[in-house]
Amino acid sequence: MRSYIVIITFVLLSLVGCNTKTEKETPAQGQLSIAIDHTVFGNILVTDQFVYKNEAGNNYMISEIQWFISDIQLHKSDGTTFLIEPEDGIYYIDTDIPFSLKINPATKIPEGNYTGLSFTFGINEAKNKSLRFVNPPESFMFWPDYLGGGYHYMKLNGKWINPSEVAEPFNFHIGIGQIYDSTALKASYVDMEACCPSSHCEGYKPPRKTMPVIGFIQNYFDVKFDQDITIYKEKTSEVTLVMKIEKWFNGAHIYDHNKWGGSIMQQQPAMQQACNNGRNVFELKQQGQ
Amino acid sequence: MFSVFSCQPKTETPVYEPTLYDLPIPFGFPTQLNIPADNPLTEEGILLGRYLFYDGRLSGRQHSDSLMSCATCHIQANNFEAGIDHPVFEGGFVHGLNGQQTHHVMLPLVNLVWNHSGYGWNGFLYPENENPAMRNIEDFVRLAVLAEDEINGDTSQVKTVFQGLKGYPELFYKAFGSEVVTFKNIERAIAQFVRTLVSADAPFDRFLRGEQQLTSSELNGYVLFTTEEGADCFHCHGGGGNPLFTTHLFYNNGKDTVFTDAMDRFVVSGNAMDKGAYKAPSLRNVSLNGPFMHDGRFATLDEVIDFYSHYVVQSNEINPLMHHVLRGGVQLTPSQKTDLKAFIQTLHDAGFLTNPAFARPEKLPDEE
Repeated sequence: MRSYIVIITFVLLSLVGCNTKTEKETPAQGQLSIAIDHTVFGNILVTDQFVYKNEAGNNYMISEIQWFISDIQLHKSDGTTFLIEPEDGIYYIDTDIPFSLKINPATKIPEGNYTGLSFTFGINEAKNKSLRFVNPPESFMFWPDYLGGGYHYMKLNGKWINPSEVAEPFNFHIGIGQIYDSTALKASYVDMEACCPSSHCEGYKPPRKTMPVIGFIQNYFDVKFDQDITIYKEKTSEVTLVMKIEKWFNGAHIYDHNKWGGSIMQQQPAMQQACNNGRNVFELKQQGQ
Repeated sequence: MFSVFSCQPKTETPVYEPTLYDLPIPFGFPTQLNIPADNPLTEEGILLGRYLFYDGRLSGRQHSDSLMSCATCHIQANNFEAGIDHPVFEGGFVHGLNGQQTHHVMLPLVNLVWNHSGYGWNGFLYPENENPAMRNIEDFVRLAVLAEDEINGDTSQVKTVFQGLKGYPELFYKAFGSEVVTFKNIERAIAQFVRTLVSADAPFDRFLRGEQQLTSSELNGYVLFTTEEGADCFHCHGGGGNPLFTTHLFYNNGKDTVFTDAMDRFVVSGNAMDKGAYKAPSLRNVSLNGPFMHDGRFATLDEVIDFYSHYVVQSNEINPLMHHVLRGGVQLTPSQKTDLKAFIQTLHDAGFLTNPAFARPEKLPDEE
């Protein structure tokens, strides 16, 4: 009888011990909320007004910005990372859709001190596949298959004042770039004629885009901030990610709308310049900063 | 005792058990549907809606000279538009029972269950509207019945007429649980039927599904359709990644320099940049949609392609997506225009235009 009592007591104690151990192993977790601001020279974006000027001297206005941010990660000083990926880790941001301007991932993040945050501007090659999104507004961002497929990383639409003092529309759209076969015979072009005998297009030269596409270039890029972010148990830490719009045009490359014209989806050199500048477009602010 | 039992079946109320209808989602189409929570699709509701859609007594009148239904103008064979060769509505410009022409030309009733951005050329009916009576297709039914330039009817008269027509009260019961005909339920039934009008089996759909190849001319047209330096249609009118072939959004597409229309997008949004802006309609079966643009200024698809090629005009309000404007348009060559049109015609869904489920029932309920 005594031995039974000893055994039962031992079993009960070990069960209690296991329970306690399990509770201790559950890591304390919190969450991260990211507000998105769009600014020009430090001020919140004002749309549809010619109040901005870039370093190339173009007076311009912005009508709307739609873009994807993905693969947001927190970094620790020991080199480990935590990927904030509740579903596919891709978020659509739209200056015309207020609720899109705050990212609230459902992901629970282990509490602690993190030393950096990174994200992908656009969508990486593995995830950027056509028909990934079938519902709007994301589906409206599709990037035509002929041009590489998947989705626009960003549509930034506006107008600039051209040398004739006319407000000319521009579509600063970034996504997968193309390599055109400049040595191809004209007979293999998608269409040999790119202009018509109409007086409307006097002086208009056939553009490169009619050449066959022989390759694609992934233009997405990663941005990392080495800044301390603390995640607290059962709390939501808040940061603000600022897109400093003027820096798309002012940076390593002085982007001139007069040079690149109204559309760049089929101009890889322009998208390349934009993406080079883009690495310095973003700023991360802690709450209250 | 026996006689009591034998009488019971006669007095028993029929069971109200509407069968929910699960709308199939075609390949590549959005999964999010615009179906109000208080009007789910049911087989009984859709059937009733189909009868009402085709019943000229929706005008509230029964004299043969005064009949008008949705189908009077929305003709299945013409993509649920009147059609440019309509024997009564000359040039496809429709008018109401009293002869008054509608302010804008028609929009087709196709794939509307995927429209979340507002109905009508300026989107004046939209789900978030503060006015709950101006939000969805249900409201369009009421407005069409009341409008002087459409049915010019009276909702009380309409429900009285259908209450008295043999067969209808039973159909209302099966659909909504009451034989009392209400105009609300008339709206709901027709809206349900309209939400089932799905076009998703055109040659281009079969191409997307890998079931059919397009001709080289059609493929050239597809490349033109989806390239900025080609015809540049896709940002507003979709493509492989948006097989609705519309964003259902509103654009000033460079038709005019002065904007005086009291029913453009501006009157809905209050945004001055929306002056002269209208919905980009779906291009499915578009060759049947003439006359084109909100005011029907173009009779043919060729005229539309010519406009976007050479005659786009500059204004402060022109949408930035019209970045070819200073050249007058996208400057397509004659062969490019041919290819572009060939591609657009791959959106012609013959099955949709002849689908018996969308056609006039063989007999109306009181004709059974």
